[in-house]
Amino acid sequence: MAGTVAGRSRRGVRAPRFALALPAIIWYALFFVVPIAYIIYYSFGTKDTSLLLPVDLTRLTTANYSQVFDATFFTVFKGTLRISVIATALCVIVGLPVAYFATFKVSERWRAVILALVVVPSFTSFLIRTVAWRIPLAPNGSLSRFLMDLGWVGENGIQVLETSVAVQIALVYNYLGFMILPLFVALDRIDTRMREASKDLGAGRVATFVSVTLPLAGPGIVAGVLLTFIPMCGDYVAATVLGGAKGNMIGALIASQFGGAQNWPLGSAMAVLMIVAVLLTLVVGAAVVWLVPRAFGLLAPVGERVRRAIHGRAIADGARGARTGRGAREPERLLLGVWTGCVLLFLFVPIILVFVHSFNRGQSFTIWSGHSSTKWWGELFDVGVAWSVLIRGALVIVGALVVRALLRRFTSLPARAVNWIGPVGFAVAVLLNWMLTDRYRDVFVFSGVGDAIRNSFIAASGATVIAVIIGGLAGVALARRPGSWTKAFMAVLFLILVTPEIMDAVALATWFPRFADFPLIGSIVTDGWGPFNGGINKLWVGQSLYASAVVTLIVRARLEGLDEALEEAAADLGATPSRAFRQVTLPLISSALVAGGLLSFTLCLDNAVISTLISEAGSTTFPVALLGATRSTIKPFWGVGAMILFVVTMAALWFVAVVLRRSGSTSSDIAATLTGGS
Amino acid sequence: MDKQIRILAPHSFREQLSRRAFLKAGTATAGLAVVLAACGNSDPASTDTSAPGASGGAEFTEIEGTATGDWSRKIAKAGGALAMYTWGDYNDPELVGALAESTLGVKMKVDFYPSNEDLITKLSTSNGQSGFDIVVPTGPYVPQMIEKGLLQKLNKDLLPNIVNLDSNYVGQPWDQNDEYVVCKDWGSAGFLYNTKKISRDLATWADFLDACQNEASGNCAVIDAPWDFCSPYFWSQGKSANTTDAADLDAAEKFLVDTLGQHIKAFDSYPSTKIAEGAYSIAVAWTGDARQAFSRIKDAKGNPEDWKWVLPGPKTQIFMDTYAIPAGAPNPEAAHAWINWELVPEVSIKDLAYHGYHTGMKNMEQLLKELAPDLPKPEMIFFSDEQVATMEAQEMNVALDRLVEILNKTKAKAGA
Repeated sequence: MAGTVAGRSRRGVRAPRFALALPAIIWYALFFVVPIAYIIYYSFGTKDTSLLLPVDLTRLTTANYSQVFDATFFTVFKGTLRISVIATALCVIVGLPVAYFATFKVSERWRAVILALVVVPSFTSFLIRTVAWRIPLAPNGSLSRFLMDLGWVGENGIQVLETSVAVQIALVYNYLGFMILPLFVALDRIDTRMREASKDLGAGRVATFVSVTLPLAGPGIVAGVLLTFIPMCGDYVAATVLGGAKGNMIGALIASQFGGAQNWPLGSAMAVLMIVAVLLTLVVGAAVVWLVPRAFGLLAPVGERVRRAIHGRAIADGARGARTGRGAREPERLLLGVWTGCVLLFLFVPIILVFVHSFNRGQSFTIWSGHSSTKWWGELFDVGVAWSVLIRGALVIVGALVVRALLRRFTSLPARAVNWIGPVGFAVAVLLNWMLTDRYRDVFVFSGVGDAIRNSFIAASGATVIAVIIGGLAGVALARRPGSWTKAFMAVLFLILVTPEIMDAVALATWFPRFADFPLIGSIVTDGWGPFNGGINKLWVGQSLYASAVVTLIVRARLEGLDEALEEAAADLGATPSRAFRQVTLPLISSALVAGGLLSFTLCLDNAVISTLISEAGSTTFPVALLGATRSTIKPFWGVGAMILFVVTMAALWFVAVVLRRSGSTSSDIAATLTGGS
Repeated sequence: MDKQIRILAPHSFREQLSRRAFLKAGTATAGLAVVLAACGNSDPASTDTSAPGASGGAEFTEIEGTATGDWSRKIAKAGGALAMYTWGDYNDPELVGALAESTLGVKMKVDFYPSNEDLITKLSTSNGQSGFDIVVPTGPYVPQMIEKGLLQKLNKDLLPNIVNLDSNYVGQPWDQNDEYVVCKDWGSAGFLYNTKKISRDLATWADFLDACQNEASGNCAVIDAPWDFCSPYFWSQGKSANTTDAADLDAAEKFLVDTLGQHIKAFDSYPSTKIAEGAYSIAVAWTGDARQAFSRIKDAKGNPEDWKWVLPGPKTQIFMDTYAIPAGAPNPEAAHAWINWELVPEVSIKDLAYHGYHTGMKNMEQLLKELAPDLPKPEMIFFSDEQVATMEAQEMNVALDRLVEILNKTKAKAGA
């Protein structure tokens, strides 16, 4: 993309302002706007299950809408709204101190560790982690018995499951990462000199936080709220697994129309209404956020007094702080640190439970039988093959390390080249095992789980690459080339975020057969391409929609407000737009791309609803398989599968991180030079 | 795809099917089959893919077995890949993995779906290109799938072991002449209750509904599916659960939404694990899941003796899942070979021991004794003829929309 832009501008023809967003525009038009338009069209049809697709479009009617306008829809929507608003608020309250601590209170190394720990738990199935919450909360569970012995809870045990509290816990748990990362990206962007200036001018910590940090973090908070609140409104997995009758959510109501009732017209009408209702809620929310400060503005004299009071105390604080030096900051830092520790523990509890319960000897994943056993690992793996894979892999990697050590000692090859031997050895080990075990199929006795893990991985990686590329370009375009196109594009982006997944799923599932008739690209998506079957390609499309919208928002939040001086300086120095993009913009947004990529990857890895409808024979992913398994008792080997998914994902991300670090140093060097020079 | 495909079946076709009683094999079946055939074309959906060419290619070999009696154990090698689309964890992993490869020479891959509707949507949106060779729809969904042309006819020459099935489980209302599907397994539903919390004896659906409003208020669970949720009310009133009568449906709505709704703790189709966790004191459950509840309770260090299983009167449900081959399946030959192998009694019982549902074999009581004597709670797998006579199957009729509405309204009420 950047290349064409450069080429055209050199010839003096200006590329349109939306040029960078063009891939995203085409992608969304093909796979979101048109398919969803069809579904909205369906909302005016009538149900007819004798048709191949159960909607009769010859008799158009608005009856579906009048049917939606009854008490059921609004009762359920009200409950959903209450749960989502509280959970979103909790995410801000819980997440902001963590992001603040990671950004300002720790060294760069610790910052990376904290952020990694925030994201790491999402590298295994979201569904199994949600199910895992049943373990500590069970009324007959060990924790409950312990608390009963202490007399802290009544004789019926902990009564949290099957209530909206359980749903709120699970929602906060599942979406916290989507709040913390955008907050961090926004806080990280804040020029620390502003905060220092504020303190130099006498403002205390609180005043600095309220009047400098918080407003500057605004876009991050907005992005975080959008990324948590909107999907929460459509989420029903948490409600289904933990909520019982009291945690009923609107997403489940809509899904039941597309599913059990096969009433697509009514389901479409409900979805359209839900989208409208969620957008209205956001508008009201935005209006409140906009109005409140202005309402305070009307009370300026009072506000002035308050500010002066804060200011006065701040000066006193500052003076004290100056006297006692760093010591005065310690309690605050300690408090934030403890808070962050607790939040990380909260994030890790389910994953630890998944690990422990994969060694459960009993038949059910959630119920600890009192005995540990590796029988479910044996059930899943061909132990002999698994060991030989591990040993073979270890031998190759150790061999690579030995070669690296020898080369370092006895040759004068450049260190940069020698350093590549480690990752290459890893890749060779992975590929070797891939070939010797029929794409790792032989490792698994129950090949279904193995296939599902491999498919999840291939689908999520591909979708993430797509999301990062089109989302990153669109984010840059939104921040740097705003224009008349921005509003329409943002509207589509919002719709992508707000559309319930089940509606996307049905829209895409019915769109692909039509799309197959498109020349060239049609067959790529539907029939397969290269080593990937059509099912995997469809998953790339389906999973990339939401993920790319997330990347776009994060990149935009990162660039917005960062002034364009750097790029202009590059241009003044004679850099072509493509070079400026590569060497200036890209390093600037690299943290946002990495954060967005991580979020996309976890989103895609967990995608169940869309994937269930569009996967084909041989492209079933882990969440799809697990969702199927929730129909009966979840056996502990799903925990084993989740752990394998976790380890494989971690290994892959470690590999990507190493490769990025090895190859990325040059561009950030240039950025650093430019920053210093400007 | 742009034009909608309307199936030219007489509209009365499904109603006629659905009015037929379930599991009344023998003369009644024959009689009604004749009536239906007389109504016109008994093959309403013509699929473009026909079963693989006559018995030609397949060569059968007879294998050994340990069960006594007269059984057919013919199997045919097939080869190639075999893709199965089924419910989660619904077959012994060896039978869809290593054993299938060593016995039949087919490499299987198994994918899962969470509901019949997902299966139907998948098959109907993929234009016969879904790539699956075997699917497992539930009985009442079969006519709809046939109508839509989603299934291909079975080649009976490739299924010699079908004679091992009990005559009660062939010729079902959804597929009179066994042209499209073969019984995989079947089960029923009842309820489980904690005798520590509910001391009186419960035996009927009326007892269940009463307990939910009293001792178990706020601690009862019901199945999260429209027909399964509403049917206990109709049975408690001595009605058919497939009623389409407006007054019956209104009464059901009034009772379920206004009276029962507030007492329900969860809409939970698989309560066994949560029963063991201590979440409910009474719950409706399908037999396979209810049977597992007892071992779950033991796992959780509870006392299984505290729990009582009831197959309630006056009527309760029966459901059957079936094997079928979708139109456009890439390897129908292997699909036939596998289904036929699954009908060998020893293989069938091995599978049964895994999933815990009656597989429709003849002489099931004797088979269980010979091949799986240690299987716990056989009375929750094998039902007497008297019990089976009280079971009613779901029918797809015009009331379904209303049942969905009732379920959704009840959920809104229970959650408020």
